[in-house]
Amino acid sequence: MFRLQGGKTLAVDLTGDGVKAKNGSMVAYDGRMAFKKMSGGGEGIRGMVTRRLTGEQMTMMEVTGQGTCYFADRASEINLVTLRGDKLYVEASNLLATDAGLRTGTTFTGLRGGAGGNGLFTTTVEGTGQAAIMSDGTAVVLRVTTRYPLSVDPGAYIAHQGNLQQHFQSGVNFRTLMGEGSGESFQIRFEGEGLVYVQPSERNTLGGDV
Amino acid sequence: MPFREINSKMVEATVVPGQKMYSQRGAMLAYRGDVSFTPNLQGGQGGLASMIGRRVAGEATPLMTVEGSGTVLFGHGGHHIQVIALAGDTLYVEADRLLAFDGTLQQSTMFMGSQGGVMGMVRGQVTGQGLFTTSLKGHGSVAVMAHGGVIELPITPGREVHVDPQAYVAHHGDVRNKLSTALGWRDMVGRGSGEAFQLELSGSGAVYVQASEEKL
Repeated sequence: MFRLQGGKTLAVDLTGDGVKAKNGSMVAYDGRMAFKKMSGGGEGIRGMVTRRLTGEQMTMMEVTGQGTCYFADRASEINLVTLRGDKLYVEASNLLATDAGLRTGTTFTGLRGGAGGNGLFTTTVEGTGQAAIMSDGTAVVLRVTTRYPLSVDPGAYIAHQGNLQQHFQSGVNFRTLMGEGSGESFQIRFEGEGLVYVQPSERNTLGGDV
Repeated sequence: MPFREINSKMVEATVVPGQKMYSQRGAMLAYRGDVSFTPNLQGGQGGLASMIGRRVAGEATPLMTVEGSGTVLFGHGGHHIQVIALAGDTLYVEADRLLAFDGTLQQSTMFMGSQGGVMGMVRGQVTGQGLFTTSLKGHGSVAVMAHGGVIELPITPGREVHVDPQAYVAHHGDVRNKLSTALGWRDMVGRGSGEAFQLELSGSGAVYVQASEEKL
C-alpha cells in the first residue's frame, strides 16, 4: 500500500481505507479523498492531554478515500518501516505517515531528549502495518545486538524499533569545559536487540555545540 | 534533445549556430566554445505585445538569449532540474521555475484566472504564484526547476488529479485547471488538515509535482 516514488515522494493506494499523515504533507492525489485533522492524535482525551503536556506537537490528519494520494515534506528522503506487532520510536518531526490501523502515542525519553533538541518526549507507533519516516539525506538502518551496542549522535538519530534500552552518554570532560570539546560530547547508547535509523546529517542540538 | 542531464541539479545544453536558446538570467554555470549571452529585454519571444503582456502579468523573470556554438552548463540555486520534452504540445509553467528552453518553442503568457471563474482568480492569491503562466509550444525541450525531486502524474479523462498549489510545478497536454476547495467549518475555525485548497487538473496530459511544498 505504501510505495516510494523517486525517494522523496510517498504514494499510498487507498481503496476506501485510510492513512494518517503529517498535516499539510499532501502534494497531489487522484480519485476521491477526504482530509480530516485528527484532534489530539486520535487517541481520545487522554492522548490530547498527553500531547499538550509533553509538547510533542505532532499534528496529523487522517486521509480516507479511493485512489492514490501522494505525500512529501520539504524534499526530505522517505524510508518505509514495516511493523509486525512491535513498536517504533520516532521523533515527531520525522514521522510522515502511518497506516490508519497503527496506534500513535508519546513516551518519555528522559535526558537524551534535552540534548537531542527534540524535547523530553518522543512519538511511538505501534501495531501491524507500515510507517513512513523522513530523513535529511538517505538514512541507514543499523542493527543492534546484545553483543554489539551502538552509540548515536542525538542530532543524527531519527528512529528505532525493537527491544532496545537507550541511555544518555556524556563525554563531557575538562577539555570540554575549557572550550576544547570535540563536538561529540553527547551520544545515545542503544543496548539490546533492534534497529536504529540514522540520518547522514545532524540537526541543531544543544549537545552539538559542546 | 539539446539538454543532457549531468546530475539532478545540472543540465548541459548543446548550442549550435543558427539555433537560439533562452535561459533564466544568471543560470549559466560554465560553458565551452564560442557562446554569447545577451540579456533579453523583451523577456523572450513574441515581440512588443508579448513584452507588455509579461510586464502587466508580472511574469517578469529576466531571460537571456544564448547563441553560438558550444556547450553550456545550467543550474540555479541548487534546485532539482527536470527536463521535459515537447512533441507539438504545450507546456504550462510558472516563469520563475523556467530554467532554459529551446528557441524553437513558441512562448506566450496565459491568463490562468480565466479558468474557473472566481476560484481561478483566487488561485494566484492562494498559490502565491501569478495569475499568469508562461506557456511553451512546439517541438523541443524545456528544463524546469523544482525543490526536491519531481514526479510526473498522468491525467486521463475521468481520472482528474488534485495537486497542492505549492507543490505544483508545471503541466502539459489538453488540461483544464481549476481551484477546488475542501473548506469546511473546521478550516474556518483554524483546525484544518492543511489541505484546504487544491488545484484540480482534468482532461488528458500530465502534471509535474515536486516533493515539497516550498516555493523556489
